[in-house]
Amino acid sequence: MLLAIRGWRIYLTPERILSTLFIAILGFLVIVPLFLMIQETFVVHPLERFQIPGSKVGEYTLSHWYRFFLSDSAYAFFYRPLINTLVISFGLSFLALAIGGTLAWLVVRTDIPFKNAISNWAIVPYILPSWTLALAWLSLFKNDRIGGEQGIFAALTGVETADWFAYGLFPITVTLALHYFPFAFLLIGGALRNIDAQLEESAALLGATRFTIIRRIIVPLVLPSIMATFLLTFARGLGTFGTPAFLGGPVREFVLSTSLYANLIGQRPGLGYLAAVVMIGIGMLVLYMDHKMVGARKSFVTVTGKGARANLIDLGKWRWWVTGLIMFFLFSVIAVPLLALAIDTVMLIPGIYAWDNLTLHYWIGEASYSIGLGTGEAGILQNSQLLSALGNTFTLAFVVAIITGIIGVLVGYAIVKRRGTFISKCLDQMSFLPYLIPSIALGATLLAMFAVPRGPIPSLHGTFLLLVIVCSISSLPYAVKAGISAMRQIGNELEEAAVMVGASWWTRMRRILIPIQKSTYFAGMLLPFISVTRELSLVILLVTPTTQLATTISLMYTDRGWYPYTNGMVFLLTIIVVVCTVASRRLMGTSIAKGLGG
Amino acid sequence: MPEIVLDGVGKTFSGHTQAVEDLSITIPDGSFTTFLGPSGCGKTTTLRMIAGLDSPTAGEIRIGDTVAFSMQKGLFLEPAERDLGLVFQSYALWPHFTVAKNITFGLELRSLNKKEIDERLEQIAVALRIDDLLDRYTSELSGGQQQRVAIARVLVMQPSVLLLDEPLSNLDATLRMEMRAELKRLHRETGATIIYVTHDQIEALTMSTHIALMRFGVLQQFAPPLDIYENPCNEFAADFLGSPRINFLEVQINDGLVVWGDLRFSISKSLAVQPRKNIRLGLRAEEFFLSRARVPGSVQGTVTTVLPTGADWFYQVQVNDQMLTIRQNGSELFKCDETVYVEARPDSVKLFDEFEQAVI
Repeated sequence: MLLAIRGWRIYLTPERILSTLFIAILGFLVIVPLFLMIQETFVVHPLERFQIPGSKVGEYTLSHWYRFFLSDSAYAFFYRPLINTLVISFGLSFLALAIGGTLAWLVVRTDIPFKNAISNWAIVPYILPSWTLALAWLSLFKNDRIGGEQGIFAALTGVETADWFAYGLFPITVTLALHYFPFAFLLIGGALRNIDAQLEESAALLGATRFTIIRRIIVPLVLPSIMATFLLTFARGLGTFGTPAFLGGPVREFVLSTSLYANLIGQRPGLGYLAAVVMIGIGMLVLYMDHKMVGARKSFVTVTGKGARANLIDLGKWRWWVTGLIMFFLFSVIAVPLLALAIDTVMLIPGIYAWDNLTLHYWIGEASYSIGLGTGEAGILQNSQLLSALGNTFTLAFVVAIITGIIGVLVGYAIVKRRGTFISKCLDQMSFLPYLIPSIALGATLLAMFAVPRGPIPSLHGTFLLLVIVCSISSLPYAVKAGISAMRQIGNELEEAAVMVGASWWTRMRRILIPIQKSTYFAGMLLPFISVTRELSLVILLVTPTTQLATTISLMYTDRGWYPYTNGMVFLLTIIVVVCTVASRRLMGTSIAKGLGG
Repeated sequence: MPEIVLDGVGKTFSGHTQAVEDLSITIPDGSFTTFLGPSGCGKTTTLRMIAGLDSPTAGEIRIGDTVAFSMQKGLFLEPAERDLGLVFQSYALWPHFTVAKNITFGLELRSLNKKEIDERLEQIAVALRIDDLLDRYTSELSGGQQQRVAIARVLVMQPSVLLLDEPLSNLDATLRMEMRAELKRLHRETGATIIYVTHDQIEALTMSTHIALMRFGVLQQFAPPLDIYENPCNEFAADFLGSPRINFLEVQINDGLVVWGDLRFSISKSLAVQPRKNIRLGLRAEEFFLSRARVPGSVQGTVTTVLPTGADWFYQVQVNDQMLTIRQNGSELFKCDETVYVEARPDSVKLFDEFEQAVI
């Protein structure tokens, strides 16, 4: 096979170059750090040499593994957080499925009114940062037994909330479920919508009752979507950090992610990395199960799709009751939390809900050690530290959205063009991998990778670039998914038609492939933008005072008990994100639901 | 207008699947050549290799005097450098461009000046009767209109070779008839060499000057349509062309006489040099003749199905435990279960040996 002179043109196609390039980059940024992190679990770190008698820094040791899994303190380090994590993940997945599934069924299969509005609003909880609800829960239900003041509920009713209700596993599970139910709503709703009415009608003609049809036809058809949703929310639950930090912290109730964080920034980095390894291990297990259980059957609902819509179920006199209930529910999970946060930012002395306690001090006040909490911090809109963190957040979100948008297009192109080859499958799997690495663990792996100089690359610790890298990796699955689906829809021939008239690869991309699917790509960029603005767990290990983000600085203020600032920041962040989402929808016709998909 | 030469062209996909095997063919200058065959026979792959969208893994392709691809010399010309145009099966019209933009996009890439682009657009739009559609988006067009735009987009580049990949398969039956005539007219007017890919033998028979019949990536026969129809090189060729399908009979040849039970007819001595076993005779539906009265050399049978199509009537006739499909024009009509006598009056004798190859 001797191809001289111009023969290279056959083999050096853009899609080959791109796929090789991205496999190398992803390998370097995802696979290599994983190994480094495993290595870290066997190394004695500077702070650990006193805990491990007779050890020297940099030596290899098995003592981290022993302490984490077998020692007397293993229960506190590992087993208790693990159990908590699993309880929360299972609980939130079931709850999210129940809420989202019911809502989806009501919207798709019954005759309730305002379906469009409900569909739009039901997605909002997912757009809000997951721990907005956690903070709102605290504002509403905290009690004065455990640090600080009464919440709004106690102040209004005079009833002190129980500790289990205000803090710990119960509120963590509930608030996370309220954050993730839109997942279930979208996925199951999509599946229900795609069921061909003829499938049900033929069952009805054979004499099946309505209940039999639901049990024997609809549920089995939707089952793959239910499983997919379950595994996705479960995986998200494993890696979530903010909510357990806010709600579990006050009662010292740890999950794996918070335990990882506490160990890693504290005295025991070895144990922190070990927690990350365990989390990634569970993440992989979920991926494997997803593959085994769902993978093969995923197709069945999507293949059908055509055909008439089934008749809507008439809810009769229940119609308005159900609608009212849905409205009340959505109001409770969207408006009430935001309102609670907003109220807390205008109360001079936290916990005292009276007219003469109203203030704008935390928004526009001068720095003072005597007014209100006496924090010595200027109000949010005057506070250069907070505003620069907010600025960092949006710079980061913007940069990451652009980067992942471009990568998504290119990787999607490479995967679709080389469809069926090993390289294509490999790239597809690799770009999905970050989705299943719990985000705090992903942060930990990149910290392990870039905290020290590696070859020609200097230490990136504390740089903005490191934040860009980690956020880009974590957003990659969304962007690649958007890229793949867009490229699939375009089909090969549209590009080949341009090849035939002599358009270069660059021209084809610029004039044909990207313009045709611009709204899909835009959706693929909007999602990273939104997820970066609210990102906490991913970056918490990587920020330094100069690279603080709105979210990390909020966490810092929460630790100091300065809730009005935290709540104000979150409120501001949320408003901006919602405005961005709505604006992009108006301008580009982008639907966030499109990008979510799973 | 160039002739196109494929010399020992082969294509193996990712190591194992052999899509096209050792294909050598010279497509005459100005011909309308159809690559015909069942799906997966390698016809589209061949077209794509000529276009330059796929690369062969063996052999050489020449278009006129230029070598477009050569494995041995390591030569590969980009599709756009080959001076040919391709109409895709899906038409591949760019949905975000108007009709006019679709047509002129390639001209813009060649940096032609605005005046010339407008002239060429005007000219081609009038010729293909799409001049009132130029400002529309392609999604607003009917199938036939899309087809015309796709052809205009290719013709406006003034290629010397026009490649068409199953361009009529997405159209309904009436429109398909119309477009066939139109493509034939186009061929006559432009004088371009046309290479056409289809699995529809009627299309191939009605439009082409030459048919290249392919199967499992191997060229079976390359000849003008009626040559293949009358003198197929093997049983596959005999079977694939013609509708309804050809009838195969296990016959004996004795002394210049073909014998199948009571059915017999004489052939030229040269065909029957020696008696052979396992010889099969292909008889097309129109090569039979039915009558109610016994005539010499005829065999008795029973009509089992009658399928009238207007001018022609098709009969399924049970003879000697075999079902024959027979076409008669509507002069004398038979009914189901009627006893008939079947004569053979072949236009050309199509005999095949035990390897399914034609006996000449």
